[in-house]
Amino acid sequence: MTPLDGRSVLKPASDVRFRIVDREAVVVRQRDSEVLVMSDVAARLLALADGVRPVDAWLDVLVEEYEVDRGTLERDVLQFAAELAEQGILEVADR
Amino acid sequence: MSFTEVLRKTWRDNLLFSVLVELTYRCNLDCFFCYNDLALRGEPMSTEEYFRLFEELRDLEVLNLTLSGGEPLAHPDFLKLGARARELGFVVRIKSNGHALRGEMARRLRDEVDPFLIEVSLHGSTAATHDRQTRVPGSFERLLSNLREVLDLGMRVKINSTLTCWNEDEAEGMLDLADSFGLQIQIDPEVTPRDDGDREPLSVAPSREGVHRLFALQARRAVEAGANLLIAHGADDGTLPAPVEKHCGAGSAGIAVDPYGNVYPCVQWRRPVGNLHHQSIGEIWTGSTDLREVREITAGAKRIVDGYGPSGSFLNFCPGSAATRTGDPLEIYPEAVLRMEETEKAFGEERKKILLPILP
Repeated sequence: MTPLDGRSVLKPASDVRFRIVDREAVVVRQRDSEVLVMSDVAARLLALADGVRPVDAWLDVLVEEYEVDRGTLERDVLQFAAELAEQGILEVADR
Repeated sequence: MSFTEVLRKTWRDNLLFSVLVELTYRCNLDCFFCYNDLALRGEPMSTEEYFRLFEELRDLEVLNLTLSGGEPLAHPDFLKLGARARELGFVVRIKSNGHALRGEMARRLRDEVDPFLIEVSLHGSTAATHDRQTRVPGSFERLLSNLREVLDLGMRVKINSTLTCWNEDEAEGMLDLADSFGLQIQIDPEVTPRDDGDREPLSVAPSREGVHRLFALQARRAVEAGANLLIAHGADDGTLPAPVEKHCGAGSAGIAVDPYGNVYPCVQWRRPVGNLHHQSIGEIWTGSTDLREVREITAGAKRIVDGYGPSGSFLNFCPGSAATRTGDPLEIYPEAVLRMEETEKAFGEERKKILLPILP
């Protein structure tokens, strides 16, 4: 997969369904019939991955929510998003 | 948090998580023991009202949406509603008799709705028995043909069956048939009265011997391991009971909606707690005094079932069924006791090893 950067636009994979319960994400991967419960950070990224906004726009939102500098945030978010993409939970959206 | 903890939280904190929507009571079969109240009248929910309901359910973080009936595929806007449910990110389940699951409908269902699971009904292992129950000649052969088609399309299917005195001698045949398709089958050993309280369906209830034979068969298969086997136990969304202070998630984590917008705590508990023509689901969920009472009853039911000790789980007690049968949602009805006794007998010590890990 092409490395992610601030211009990357992501969305949940087509077989992924998720909801937020008590700030955590309940993620169902339909293809594998698998249920995952993911952290509040994953829940936030899944909610932001709308297939429209690039990662840079996520950072504009998240920098207001987390007490961390933008550079660190960008590194962490890209790393986590890449992990979610590797697991098949997020995918790059066609633009 | 594990998924079990999530379920526990939804039950405990009254977080709506699973909704079953009966889109229509129309049906292309005519099952003798159908539990729907076909005389019920009202203003049907419009497609626009369903869209609003689905959006509100999405906003409430409801994950599981089951489209049922009647026969849900008989709703004229079924595909439109299913597609919208998919778009809104629900895990969609379809409860269908399977009769119309073929050709373009099957293909469009896969492509446009992408259901997580389709549950179809099997009423026997022979055409004579299945068709006797559905009262539609040819329905058995058509179901088998449709199953092959749906599986070829790559969709996930589960078979549901209800044990009756007409098909109890074919229980093993039904399990074998499910195995031949590689499908899970759930045989419910309990025929229930109709939603309006009509007890006519009970005239085809299975015999005690039939229930015993089913459980013995299931015990044997469980011991053999790897067989497709489930004792009917759990919610319509496929979740198992969560270990909390409530007996079930009726009205706490789940609700059912009939074609006229009436909201119930559960598909089996036909106590109206609101109507979607007059209130939003959010208003009903947070404001209904009936729902509050239902939640208290489920807590009371747990205390009663716990009084039976470890065997209590095998009652598979349903407060909704109790309410329909006896008028009292907390009364343990004879069929539940029969189930417990026969499960105990059939499974003996093996049952403990096999089932205790998945029971609350």
